[in-house]
Amino acid sequence: MLKVGFHRAGLAGYTGFKSSAYTEGALFYGEKLVDAKARESIEAQAKILVEPKKEGFCEPGST
Amino acid sequence: MKQNLTEQERVTIREGIREKYSRVAASGTACCFQYFTGEVGIRQQQYPPELIRDFPQPIVDSFCGVGNPFNLGPLYTGEAVLAIGCGNGFDTLVAAKMVGPQGRVVGLDMTLEMIHQARANLAPLGLENVTFQEGEAEALPFPDNEFDVVISNGVFNLTLDKEKALREAHRVLKAGGRLMLADMVLVQDLPPETAGKAENWYQ
Repeated sequence: MLKVGFHRAGLAGYTGFKSSAYTEGALFYGEKLVDAKARESIEAQAKILVEPKKEGFCEPGST
Repeated sequence: MKQNLTEQERVTIREGIREKYSRVAASGTACCFQYFTGEVGIRQQQYPPELIRDFPQPIVDSFCGVGNPFNLGPLYTGEAVLAIGCGNGFDTLVAAKMVGPQGRVVGLDMTLEMIHQARANLAPLGLENVTFQEGEAEALPFPDNEFDVVISNGVFNLTLDKEKALREAHRVLKAGGRLMLADMVLVQDLPPETAGKAENWYQ
């Protein structure tokens, strides 16, 4: 994401979704710069998830 | 996943993905996914109940996302939104509710059957700020600086050229625009006997 020009870009957290033992759902966020300048004074909208929400999520095949 | 695909592999993968999601459009999510979809998936991903209260059951049943891109931040009244790989249109319709009649949302999908299903899902809701059209993430049919927000849910993992798809998303965003993606990531290496197989893209 950074390579193509996004700012404040990256993995914001995991969704708790698992379709297999090898894959997991994740959230990614990025912003396109205003006037090619960093928007350091504007609070990023992405809410960084420190802990993935596990409660209530089920593995495939479980209830 | 294997990085350097032959042209034949690209064709096989693209057709495999298109065929799978054509089946989903025709038969529903139960045919093709081993994980929770529909109402259970919506509840797990914490979509706001007030926004989907009037969604007809077929729209709810057709949800098969891997996350909730709206957990990354709100959409604002009047914004223009692009939903890449919109499928049956669930996230597109949620976005339409968020931006209101002064905003607009375009749902894009490479599977024509999904576009037809999305239009059918839109009809009973009477939302006039939504359109659906066919297209691909690696070649978005829109001018530069068109949208305030690009969303996507479980789609970029299916693109053959992820850098190109991200570059296109960046291009169509306005300055200051946001990209909000939910997608699948590999958290450990695939076993050697399955790694590198084209079927991994769409099974």
